[in-house]
Amino acid sequence: MSTENPYAQYYVVKQGDTLSKLAEEFYGDKMLYTKIFEANKDVLQDPNKIKPGQRLRIP
Amino acid sequence: MRIAKMLVALAATTLMLAACASQKEPAEKAVAQVESSLAAFRADAEKYAAEELKGVDASVTKLKNNLAKKDYTSVVKSAPAVASSVNSLKQVVATKKADVEATMAAAQAEWTDLSTKVPQMVEAIQTRVDTLSKSRRLPKNLDKAGFETVKTDLEAMKTEWTEAGSEFAAGMAANAVRKARAAKATGDRILYKLEMTNS
Repeated sequence: MSTENPYAQYYVVKQGDTLSKLAEEFYGDKMLYTKIFEANKDVLQDPNKIKPGQRLRIP
Repeated sequence: MRIAKMLVALAATTLMLAACASQKEPAEKAVAQVESSLAAFRADAEKYAAEELKGVDASVTKLKNNLAKKDYTSVVKSAPAVASSVNSLKQVVATKKADVEATMAAAQAEWTDLSTKVPQMVEAIQTRVDTLSKSRRLPKNLDKAGFETVKTDLEAMKTEWTEAGSEFAAGMAANAVRKARAAKATGDRILYKLEMTNS
């Protein structure tokens, strides 16, 4: 969905991660998990289902 | 005896005039060659070695003045030195032109690289700033003051980038590159503050 921007931040999912947890870590607000989901719709179908090893863009 | 002296003087004068006349053609040819050589690269000389050109022009003018005064012997005698200074100037101009062209090519290549990178940095940072602006709290290691600094720095970066673009559009590639480098340096600082660097 997005063109590769070398300055965009990426994160490789670890066991136990959720989008809410990542949103809290990167933005300080777990409610902003939708931002991460929207930016990764090419690899995610469901915001509740992320798998270890997936490389997600953190917009 | 008197007639003999007169004849000798007449012969000497005739010989002198003949010698002088024989120098006319080589003198004219020498001046024409010098002028022609200089004309071939005058435009570049004015651009890349204006001061050196003034010195050579003065020598050529002196040569032409001597030719106008019909001092052919002097012209023939001094023309090789003037021709040599024209050749030296030609070398100087060629070297300076090559240096300037190499610098311009390097600036152009760097601009091409920066004109891809800086907008990508701006986009990545702007997206993060927009998201953080909607956050109810800020992430660890970024307090409110730090975030305000980030926003100010981002605006400065965008201004630097706009100025760089204007400089480049005006043909000032070196200035454009200097400003684009400054914009990128600002972007690198912001990425570091936001911990957006991918390790």
